[in-house]
Amino acid sequence: MKNIKYLGLALTISFLNFSCDEEFLNAPPQGEVSESAVWTDPGLAEAFVTDLYKGLGQGGFSEQALASLTDEAIFTHPGRNITTVTEARSNPQEPGWMDYTRNWPDLYSNLRATNIAIDNLTDPSFANEGGIADRLLGEATFMRAYFHHQLLRNFGGIPIANKTFTLDEETYELPRNTYEEVVDFIIADLDKAATLLAGKDLTGGRATELAALALKSRVLIYAASDLHDMPTASAKSSVISGYQNKELIGYTSGSQADRYQQAAAAAKAVLDKASGNMLDLSEPLSQEEAIQTYINNSLSRNGGESEMIFGRYFLSQKPETGGRHGLHNGPNGYNNWAGNTPVQLLIDDYQMMDGSDFDWEEEDHASAPYEGREPRFYATFLYEGAPWKPRSSANQARDPLGQIQTGTYEVINGEGQKVTHFGLDTRNSPIEDWNGSYTGYYIRKFIEPDPNFVDQNTWQEIPWPHLRFTEAVFNYAEANIALGNDEEARTWLNKIRYRAGLPALTASGEELMEALINEKRKEMVHEEQRFYDARRWMIAPETLGRQPNGINIVGTLKAGKDVTIYSYNTENYDYSYEVIDIDPGKENRLWLDKMYFMPINFDEMQRNRELIQNPGYED
Amino acid sequence: MVTTKRGKEGKPELTYQFNQGFAQPTTIPKLADAAQYGEMLNDLNVYELPTNEWRAATDAYRSTGTYITQAGQERTAPFSPEALALHRAGTDPWNYPNTDWYGETLKTWSPQSRHNLQLNGGSESLRYMASIGYQNQDAYYKNSATGFKQYDMRINLDAKINEYIDLQLGVLARQEYRFFPTRGAGAIFRMQMRGKPHEPAYWPDGRPGPDIENGENPVVITTNATGYDRDTRNYFQTNGALNIKIPGVEGLKFQGTAAIDNLSRLQKRWETPWILYQRGNGFEADGVTPILVPSQRGPAEPRLRQTNINQLNILLGGVFTYERQFGDHGFNALAGVNKETVEGNDFFAYRRYFISPAIDQMFAGGDAEKNNGGGAFTRGRLNYFGRVAYNYQEKYLFEFLWRYDGSYIFPEASRFGFFPGVMAGWVISEENFWKNNITAMDFFKIRGSWGQMGNDQIYYDGSLQEYQFLATYGFSSQILQNTEAKTLYETRVPNNAITWEVANNSNIGIEGQLLQGKIFFEFDYFYNKRTNILWRKNASVPQSSGLASLLPAENIGEVENKGFDINIGYRGQSGDISYSVSANGGYAKNKILFWDEPPGAPSWQLSTGSPMNTPNPVYLYDGVFPNQAAIDAETLDYSDITNNLRPGDMKFKDYDGDGAITPLDRVRLDRNSIPRFQGGVNLNASFRNWDLAILFQGAAGAIAQVSLGESGNIGNYLLEFYENRWTVDNESSVYPRIANRSDQYYSNGNDFWYRSSDYIRLKNFEVGYTVPQQFGERFGISNLRFYANGLNLLTWDKLKVYDNATGQYYPQARVINAGLSVTF
Repeated sequence: MKNIKYLGLALTISFLNFSCDEEFLNAPPQGEVSESAVWTDPGLAEAFVTDLYKGLGQGGFSEQALASLTDEAIFTHPGRNITTVTEARSNPQEPGWMDYTRNWPDLYSNLRATNIAIDNLTDPSFANEGGIADRLLGEATFMRAYFHHQLLRNFGGIPIANKTFTLDEETYELPRNTYEEVVDFIIADLDKAATLLAGKDLTGGRATELAALALKSRVLIYAASDLHDMPTASAKSSVISGYQNKELIGYTSGSQADRYQQAAAAAKAVLDKASGNMLDLSEPLSQEEAIQTYINNSLSRNGGESEMIFGRYFLSQKPETGGRHGLHNGPNGYNNWAGNTPVQLLIDDYQMMDGSDFDWEEEDHASAPYEGREPRFYATFLYEGAPWKPRSSANQARDPLGQIQTGTYEVINGEGQKVTHFGLDTRNSPIEDWNGSYTGYYIRKFIEPDPNFVDQNTWQEIPWPHLRFTEAVFNYAEANIALGNDEEARTWLNKIRYRAGLPALTASGEELMEALINEKRKEMVHEEQRFYDARRWMIAPETLGRQPNGINIVGTLKAGKDVTIYSYNTENYDYSYEVIDIDPGKENRLWLDKMYFMPINFDEMQRNRELIQNPGYED
Repeated sequence: MVTTKRGKEGKPELTYQFNQGFAQPTTIPKLADAAQYGEMLNDLNVYELPTNEWRAATDAYRSTGTYITQAGQERTAPFSPEALALHRAGTDPWNYPNTDWYGETLKTWSPQSRHNLQLNGGSESLRYMASIGYQNQDAYYKNSATGFKQYDMRINLDAKINEYIDLQLGVLARQEYRFFPTRGAGAIFRMQMRGKPHEPAYWPDGRPGPDIENGENPVVITTNATGYDRDTRNYFQTNGALNIKIPGVEGLKFQGTAAIDNLSRLQKRWETPWILYQRGNGFEADGVTPILVPSQRGPAEPRLRQTNINQLNILLGGVFTYERQFGDHGFNALAGVNKETVEGNDFFAYRRYFISPAIDQMFAGGDAEKNNGGGAFTRGRLNYFGRVAYNYQEKYLFEFLWRYDGSYIFPEASRFGFFPGVMAGWVISEENFWKNNITAMDFFKIRGSWGQMGNDQIYYDGSLQEYQFLATYGFSSQILQNTEAKTLYETRVPNNAITWEVANNSNIGIEGQLLQGKIFFEFDYFYNKRTNILWRKNASVPQSSGLASLLPAENIGEVENKGFDINIGYRGQSGDISYSVSANGGYAKNKILFWDEPPGAPSWQLSTGSPMNTPNPVYLYDGVFPNQAAIDAETLDYSDITNNLRPGDMKFKDYDGDGAITPLDRVRLDRNSIPRFQGGVNLNASFRNWDLAILFQGAAGAIAQVSLGESGNIGNYLLEFYENRWTVDNESSVYPRIANRSDQYYSNGNDFWYRSSDYIRLKNFEVGYTVPQQFGERFGISNLRFYANGLNLLTWDKLKVYDNATGQYYPQARVINAGLSVTF
């Protein structure tokens, strides 16, 4: 009896005891590290700064490429809001397709991270041993400039993000800075980053001094362009001339020539510091060498690495979207998805081997359009008869040679009758026809060409070039043309042309600028250049506004030829090539001047009453 | 704590229960057949042309299969008239198949069974209950590699130590074994819906046909040809309770409890390439059988991932209770505490480049790209609670109760929340004025309550939002040149003031009985108001702050929920038949009182004022443009959403009346996927040794989305859309023109695609027969019952195309069961 009383007492005490110890309720996450620890430890601080590169997304290797929003390509699959942009239907509620790398909310989230790093590294709580703190601050400062430049070229002047917001701010409603203020802010960051990063030898994928110089060159050539010189832009566009807040989208004072001077100097700084790959030639490469060099540059291997100034890298050990470029864009006959397919408008801009223009009116050209073209054509595209990898085991019997088939052909069947064979890489193919190209072409650039590499189930390791040396060459040439230094511009453009296996240019003045536009369109195709170039040069109405087109190819058996399994062969076949417009029900392109800038999202406008909408979206 | 079956005093009693069931999906979408699908693909091809060519192109495709466009280009119909005829006829399965993908993939009935053996007995001082059980459940698929098996064992002991102390101990061991192919039910059901009816599931010689995409032929990816994905969960749970009557204080008791639950889980995912067969060129030696070529699909080479997960939950509790009656006054008081901790950890290893699919063991994998990882977590909660109840003659009832809850989810300063409640009841039928006047109603009670409850389970973005008050950085990685670097990122901006969500529940109700309990009824009206709801301010804080994805949960939301519950029934007996009928139903409607909103959004798009979880604002469907004349006559401006209106396009309502269809015309619907009204009718009857139970269930007031997002050149259409769609021949003003996936402005984002999911269902129908005792006794059987039942046998619904509850993926089961229970 007594024992029980003691037991009761003991139980009561232990009961009170366990209920009072509340320490176990402090259960922080074991997979995370506290903010304060990060900024006192250089290893952790570096990990934070490395994460800033996440803001680069997949580079330009999203399934939907920016190329499909331009006259480089169209997108095959429905329902991705790409036609919202190409048909000029963008509005503040439905801006159309914007991927992570260009999107307002994501860019501002990433800017916040750069500001946290800059705040904590400006007066670091750890020793600057071997310049680690400087280097990290330099990288973060570069990335802050990079994200601002993405906002700037898509939206115009935007609220500068140079402060780390807390939950208890008086207001979050910041007005837009002017275009000029944003440019100046970016340039100041890049100058600082270049100084901090000077002399540092860094792993590819990190920002370097050269990357800061190259981005500065890009920002300044954009700033000098017609779209951002308000008197010039207003003369060319009534939407811009009618806009009340021109300072948000360009310069309302100062001289465009001065800005070209600055752009030229910034580009020259890049050219003085590096040399790219094979830009020291004095005569054109042979066709074969030029093809290989262009492929090397786009794959960043066999010397092409020295073109790369700032890249987003991929490794198959971490399967990411960016490693699926071949799956996303390769031919359906190879079980790939053929998402972004080149349009005939682009194909036709590739010159002949001798430097003359391609012309459908010329009988030789029209009857064999894929013969005698400039080397970059072969390095960039897959087209009827182009040799490519072996097809999957199931389809090798249909095409033992591994050649692209984009036409419709006569073949002889078992009963000796002539029947129609639809090319394996068409929309009538027996293989995943819904993924076939509408244009009759596929992109080859940036796709792993190793014949053993199967795109449909393997991740490629080809880096995306955010900044490459050749761009600075174009920037330098462009600024010099604008400044009347045609000779200097031609000298540098011809280095690119020699490398591409083409003869020197002789044009000058406006014609030289035309030549530069065409040269850059080809050399930097699918590198997210055209979308911005066509806008800032204000050539979008007559380029991006064009209806996309493709090719209709028919192969007719020559008399007496007996072909049972099709392969491209001019001995057996007469080929006809007919350019066709893409059906309007598929895509019906239109340019309206509001499309020079993306609209600011409706909800964001409502959240921030200080914002002013871009021209053409005001309503 | 879950209460489990406990031993009964007496001689050992053995019970065996067996159940054999057969399951099939309740609803399978009806899809177009090969010829119908072919016609629709021809339509899609025509719709790419300018509208003034649609008529001519359609006619040409039907008569010859080719059309010369106005631009002079020859187009070939995806399906020639001859091909359509052959698909329709079904006479040439090699070349013109007509495949029912659901039919090819699913079997009619899938078996499931259960066995349970239970031993029961004991003396006054020690009682025992022990059982072992087995369950086996197959999936819907033919050649199924999916299933569930369970083995369990349980022992419960109840010991009476002495007058003051008794003890309960229990042990449960259970293995749950789930196995799947490496492509889950999501992929399988997606591919059955997408499956093109003009392509074969199997070739006529039995070899599997080509994939729809990514190797995903559903008749193959349901099998172990893709490898396997196994999940074995071993539970070992022990629990004990010690009950002590405190001597010297009458009515005072103490109960101490402990439950220790251990889960160890092994996942093993073995992915292998598989083979499908495609048409090659030419024929076999017989000259008629087409040559088929094998094609390897799926992963490039075999790969294996194994994961171990361990979790230990410990729940300790102590409760004092005091219960006494002093004359007419009854008292009942209780005070207690519960302490809960959870610890978990996991570890995985991964290898690829196995040289062969023959060995599915980790050591046999290649060294390149091998990977491993692991992590751990802990959670804790501490709850104090109590109750004081008083009644006078069981006529007037009062009760006060409280909880004081602490959770690791919140910071120290706001970790604990106090949640009181009161209840009162009046049994009016005990009053003399009632007894003397109202004789028909023998029991009638009015009751009311008000109380608060706290909630710390903050779920959004699909996961539990823990650590909202902590400034911690998470780990990730980024690829640099030739290296994968570890990275750290800010997980959130901490909210130091975060605390409990509170539900304020009030309720008033009556219950009563008539005719000695033959008729009973219950009615409750409730009004619940949830405050301090944890949500982010991401609708109102501008994204240019950079906070958009980092905002923590804050105690900002307020939602009310009101409605009623009703339950009435009748129990009767006539001769050997006894029966009961009851009906229950409830109506509940919630409304958001405060939510974070974009400051400038129009009132008809706000969440505030609407029920929770309504879809984002949508355009209101207003019919279809049947022809060009209707488009020409249209006065509304559609230029914000399309450059080019075409026959068969959908019309929308100009909600804001500005003469243009703009995104401001989108309206927030007043419904969500949760029915406002739910109810059921129960019938139970027994006649001598027979018993019968019937349950009807119904629900109303919810909507479900019908999606044609993968219909088009990558997947089949619902038959309903084949039959009703707009075409050049059927100028429908109700159904729009078919789209290729979601490529038209009306393909989604409007209320045409939302349908009522109201339904009435025969949820359960059961007949049982208990063998007369005299008969069983001869074999030592004390009880023997046979039964058969059916679940979800019949459904009357408005949605029709999918199952109401589960949509397109893995539908609910209709099950037919038979079983027996025998006790020795």
